[in-house]
Amino acid sequence: MAAIVGIDVGGTFTDLYCARDGLPPRILKVPSTPGDPSVGLMNALAAADIDGNAVELIVHGTTIATNALIERKGARCALITTRGFRDVLELGRRDRPKMYGLTGVQRPLIPRDLRFEVAERLDAQGQVITPLDRDEVMALGRSLAGMGVQAVVISFLHSYANPAHEQAVAGWLAELDAGYEIIQSHDVCNEYFEFERTSTAAVQGYLQPLVSGYAKQLSAKLGESTFPSDPLIMQSSGGVVPLSQVATRAANIVRSGPAAGVIAAAALASEAGFSHVITGDMGGTSFDVAVIINGQPKVARTTKQDFRIVLKLPMIDVHTIGAGGGSIASLDKAGILQVGPESAGADPGPACYGRGGTRPTVTDANVVLGRIDWANPIGDRPLLDIEAAQTAVRGLGQQLGLSLEDTAEAILAVVNHTMAGRTRLLSVEQGLDPRDFAFVCFGGAGPLHGAAIMREVGIRTMLAPPEPGVLCATGCCIADIRYDQSQTMERALGDLTDADINTTLDALRLSGEAKLADTDTDLGTANVSYTADMCYMGQIHNLRVGIEDGWSAAQLTEAFEIAYRAEFGNTLGNIPVILVSLQAVVSAPPPGRVVRTPQSGEARPAVAHAQRLVHFGGWHETAIYRRPDLLPGMHFIGPAIVEQDDATTVIEPGMAARVDGYGNLLVELSQ
Amino acid sequence: MSAPAPTMPIPITPDPITLAVVRGALHQIADEMDLHLIHAAISPIISEMHDCAHGIYDARNGETIAQGGFGLPMFLANMQYTVQNLLEHVKADGGFQPGDVWIVNDPYISGTHLQDVVLVAPYFVDGECFALLANTGHWMDIGGSVPGGWAPQAREIHQEGFIIPPLRVVKAGQRNEEVVKMILANLRLPGQIAGDLEAMTNVFHVGERGLNDLIGRYGNSTIRGCIDEMMTRSEAQMRNHIASIPDGTYRFEDCFDNDGIIDQPLPVHLALTVEGSDMHFDFTGTSPAATGPLNMAETTTRSLAFVALKHVFPDVPVNGGAFRPTKFTVPKGCMLAAQYPSPVCGYTDVINRVIDVVFGALAQVVPDITPAAPFGTAGVTTVSGHREDGSYYVGVYPAPGGYGGSAESDGLTNGTLPSSLAGFMSVEMSEHRYPLRFDYFAIRENSGGPGRHRGGCGTSYGIRALRDCVVSVLGDRADHAPFGVVGGGSGGSLEVRFETGGETWTPPMRSKAEKIPLAAGEAVHISTPGGGGFGPAGERAREAVEQDLRQGLITAEAAASVYGAKL
Repeated sequence: MAAIVGIDVGGTFTDLYCARDGLPPRILKVPSTPGDPSVGLMNALAAADIDGNAVELIVHGTTIATNALIERKGARCALITTRGFRDVLELGRRDRPKMYGLTGVQRPLIPRDLRFEVAERLDAQGQVITPLDRDEVMALGRSLAGMGVQAVVISFLHSYANPAHEQAVAGWLAELDAGYEIIQSHDVCNEYFEFERTSTAAVQGYLQPLVSGYAKQLSAKLGESTFPSDPLIMQSSGGVVPLSQVATRAANIVRSGPAAGVIAAAALASEAGFSHVITGDMGGTSFDVAVIINGQPKVARTTKQDFRIVLKLPMIDVHTIGAGGGSIASLDKAGILQVGPESAGADPGPACYGRGGTRPTVTDANVVLGRIDWANPIGDRPLLDIEAAQTAVRGLGQQLGLSLEDTAEAILAVVNHTMAGRTRLLSVEQGLDPRDFAFVCFGGAGPLHGAAIMREVGIRTMLAPPEPGVLCATGCCIADIRYDQSQTMERALGDLTDADINTTLDALRLSGEAKLADTDTDLGTANVSYTADMCYMGQIHNLRVGIEDGWSAAQLTEAFEIAYRAEFGNTLGNIPVILVSLQAVVSAPPPGRVVRTPQSGEARPAVAHAQRLVHFGGWHETAIYRRPDLLPGMHFIGPAIVEQDDATTVIEPGMAARVDGYGNLLVELSQ
Repeated sequence: MSAPAPTMPIPITPDPITLAVVRGALHQIADEMDLHLIHAAISPIISEMHDCAHGIYDARNGETIAQGGFGLPMFLANMQYTVQNLLEHVKADGGFQPGDVWIVNDPYISGTHLQDVVLVAPYFVDGECFALLANTGHWMDIGGSVPGGWAPQAREIHQEGFIIPPLRVVKAGQRNEEVVKMILANLRLPGQIAGDLEAMTNVFHVGERGLNDLIGRYGNSTIRGCIDEMMTRSEAQMRNHIASIPDGTYRFEDCFDNDGIIDQPLPVHLALTVEGSDMHFDFTGTSPAATGPLNMAETTTRSLAFVALKHVFPDVPVNGGAFRPTKFTVPKGCMLAAQYPSPVCGYTDVINRVIDVVFGALAQVVPDITPAAPFGTAGVTTVSGHREDGSYYVGVYPAPGGYGGSAESDGLTNGTLPSSLAGFMSVEMSEHRYPLRFDYFAIRENSGGPGRHRGGCGTSYGIRALRDCVVSVLGDRADHAPFGVVGGGSGGSLEVRFETGGETWTPPMRSKAEKIPLAAGEAVHISTPGGGGFGPAGERAREAVEQDLRQGLITAEAAASVYGAKL
C-alpha cells in the first residue's frame, strides 16, 4: 500500500491528510508547537498511526516564514548596496500605511546602521560604469564579521541585467568564511525595480538562517523515523520544492499554507467540472479568498507583507479580510453593527469556549442559532458554553433593541455580507460575472457560511470538499514540484530579434530543469510553460501573457494585443510594445502521487442521523446528517446541517444538496 | 431638477440589520463603479493611478450617499460640491430627465483642474429622481498650450485647455454626437479619450443595476430610510468629534514662497472656529488670486479641508452627513476660491497648504490627535529631451517627503502627498526609459523637524543628464519650512540646486524653475522637506536620540545642540 501524506502546520493546529491507495484518506488535527514546529509535525505523524515504510512522500505546508516575518523573529542582516542607494530599502516608492491618517511607523527588516555602500555602478544595459574595489569590499566584509550578522544581502542597481558585481562580492565575502550567509538579489528575484528586488532579497536574508535551521531539525527527526527524510515543502506559488532546497528559497514559502488550500480547491473543483472558481477559506480570525480562472489560480507578482516590505515573487493571489469565527461583533461610533476586524483570537477565543471571553463573536452567534451543536463540537474540544454565548450576544442585542436570536442573525448577516462583498469584488475585478463561478468553501468555519455567501454573491453552486477543515493539507498531496524563473528584458519588441527571445527562454527553462533534476524527478514528466510581461511604451503596469517557445517578436506583439483588448476592450494602435520580462515555469508531478477516481452512486435520498431545532429566521426542525454517511449519489434539501470531525456545513432553507462521485457536497438553490 | 420631495415615498426607519446591510451594499455599488472604470478606461492615469472617483448622491440636495474606496482622497468631498453646483445649472435647464448624462469640467464648478471631467446621471425610481450617480476621470489631454494640461506660464484658464460647461452628453438615452465631436476635436488624444468617455458613461449601468437590485429587495421607502439614517448617524458621529474639541477660534497662517512669476510670498490664512458641534473654516486674509496657475477652486478647498479632518479622524464615514456640521468662508477671487479667468493647473501644490493650515489650527487645541506639518509640496521635477534615437521623452518625478511627528510616533520618511496615493518611479525603470542617471536616492539626513517625536526625514536625489535636456521644477516650501507643533521644530526646507557649467546654483525662485537646459553630464539635485517635529526636542527619549545618531539621521552636533544629549 503506497501512501502520500500532506501536513499543514498552522498557527494553532497541525493538520494531516494521508491519501492511501484503495482506502479512505486518514485525516487528523493535533495542536501546533510554535517553539519548534517540527515537533507538532512528528506528533501528527505519530497520531496518524501509519506505517512510515509505506509512505512514499510527505508534503508539507508551513507558517514558519510568515510568523517570523509578522513577529519579527528573523535574522540580524546587513545590506550592501551601490554607493548612494543604501536607503532604497527603507524609502520604498513614496507611500503611506493607510489611506487616511498620517501616523504609523516603519520597521525596515535591515536598519540603516547595518546598510552599507560600496563603489560600483552598472547602467541599465548592465555595462560597468564604476568598477568594484576588492579592497573596499574585503574591509567591509571583515568589519561585518564583528557585527554579529547572520546574513549579508547584496543588492546592486541593475544586477538583473548583469549579475557580475553581485557575484564577485559574494565570492570575495565567502573567502572570508565569516559565518554569515550570503544572499545576492538577482538570485532571489531577477527582475528590475530596485526597491522591490532589494526588499525581496532582504526577506530572503531575514528568513534564510531560520528556515535553514528548521530544515535541518526536521530532516534529522525524519531521518530517525521510518518516514522518508526529504519531504517536499509548499511554496506560495502553489508548487512544491524539496526540503533540502528550501533554505535558499525561504522567501518563496511566506504564504505556503493558504496556497495549498487554493491548489486543492482548484483541483477538486476541476474534477467536479468547474473551471471558474472562487475559493473561501474561513478560519478563526480571517477569511482568505482567491480566484481560479480556467482551472488556474490567479497569481500575484508582487505582494505586500507589511508596510514597505514587499515580495516580488509569484504567489497565489489570496486576499485576506478580518472575518472569522473569532471576529467580534460590536457597534461602531455611528451605532451601526459591525463584525471584525477585531478578533477574540485563540485566547480567550469566543465566549462559548468558556475561557473568559465575554464579547460576542461569529462562533457565538452560530452556537446561539443552533448551527453549531454546543453539545457536540468539532475536533477534540470540550462542550461549548452555550449560556456564555447567549449572554454575550444578548448584551449586544440590548444595545440594538433586538431579541437574542435576531441579534445572532444580525451578526451573521453582517459578517456574511462583508465576506460576500469581497468575494464579489474579486470576480468584478476580473471583469467576470459572479454567476459564472462555483464557490469552494473550506477551513473550519467556511462551510458554516458558504451557503449565505453563495446566495449573497449570486453564485450558482457551492462545493464543500470531503474534508473542508484540512483542505490545505489535502492540497499538499496534489501540488506539483515547481520552479519559477524570470528575466527582465525591458526592450521594445521591435528592437529584439527572435533569437534574443528564444535564447532567453531556453536559458530560463534550463535553469528550472537543473533544479528539478536535483530532486531526482524524471525530466520526461516535466511541464514547461512560458509567459511574457508586456506593455505599451510609457505604461507603468504590464500584462502577463501566455506564450510558446519559438515564438517570434511579431507573435508576441499579437498575443499582447489580444490580451490587451480582452482586458481593456481596446488597443492603443501604433504605440510600440515593450517586452518587460520573460518567465518560465518548470513543473512536474512528484513521484508517488495518488490518483483519485470517481465512484458512481445511484441517485437516492440521504438519511438524516438526527433532528434539531436550528434558527433560520425562526426556529426550524432541521435534519442533521453525518458527513461519513453521505455517499455519492445521495441528495437532500435544506434546512440541513452536516456534521463531521473537522467542520460543520449549513444548507439553508430553499437549497438542495447532493454528493458527487468524489464525495464533494454540491449545494444549489432549489428550483 | 423639479422639486421631487412632495411625491417621495415616506422613509421607513430601518431595523438595525437592514441598516447595516444596506450601508454595506451602497458602498459596494460605489466600489464596483470604481473598479469597472479602472478596468475599462484606456488612459493609464485612470487604470493604473486610479485618478478617478465614483459616488451616489442624494437627488434632493446633492449630499453624498456613498463614494467608492478606490479613487483618490482629493475627490473626497469635491464630488458632492460639484454635484451641488451642477444641481443649480440643471434646475435652470429643465431638471434631470431619465436617460440623461451631464458632463462638465469647468473648474469653477467642478473643482480641481480641466483634465478632471465629471459625468452625472440621474437615477429614477417610479418616475421620481431618487439619486444622482456621478464619476470623475482624469483625461490625459484637454487641449490648451501644453500637452497634458500642466501650463506653468498660464495667466488665464484658456491657456490651460478646453472648458466644457454643464451639457447633456447623453439625452434621453441617445448620445449627443455633436457635443462629443466638438469635445474630441479639441483634444490631442481623441481616440484614447473617446474610449475613456465611453467607459465613464457605461459605468452608470453598473450603478443602476446595483441600485435596482437593492431597491427591488428592500423597497424604495426602506432604502430612503436607511440613507436618511446613515446621514443622521454620520452627522452625529462628526458632531461628536467636533464637540470633543474645545470651543474657540484657532488661527493659523502659512505661506507659499511665490507663484513662479512674481517673487512675493502668498499667505494662506485660516480662522477655524469650533462652537459646540459646529465648525467654521474662514479663509479670510488669504492672498488674492495668483498671477500664475497657483490657484484653486472653492470646491477643492472645501474638499481638502475634509481630507485634513479625515486624516485626523479616520473613522468618519464619507457621506454628506459628515459634512453637515461645517461651513466655509472663502473670499471669492482669492487663491483658494479662484474665479474666471484665473488659471488653476497649479492646484496640485495649493491643496497641500489647505491641509497644513487645518493641522496648524487643530494642533493648538487637540495636539493629541493632530500631526505636525507634512512636507507639503507636490515638488514636481520634469525632465524632457530627446533619446539617442531622436524620440522625445518627458520624465516626471514628484517629490516624496517626511510626514510630521505626532503624539503617537515619529513622522514617516518618504511619504506621498496626503491628498494622493501616487508613488515615485523606480530608479531602474527610469534609467531604462530616459537618458538620465540617478547619482543617489537617499534619506536626507538631519531634515526631520526636531521634537519629542521627530518629523520624518525628507529625501535627496540627484539626476544627471546623459544627453542634453531641459528641467522644470514646480515646488514650494523653500522659504517656509514645514512647521512643528506644540514646541516641535521645523523640518528641512526644499532645496533645488542645478549643477551646470561647473557651478552649483539655486534658481531665483528657489522652489520653482522653468525650462533650465542641462548639457550632457550636468545635473539637478533635489532635497525635499522633512516633516515638522512634535513637542519639545528636549523631551525626546535618550535612546531615540542615540538611535538617530547611530543611524546617521541626525549629526552629533544636532544631538548635542538641539536635543541636549550628553554623549
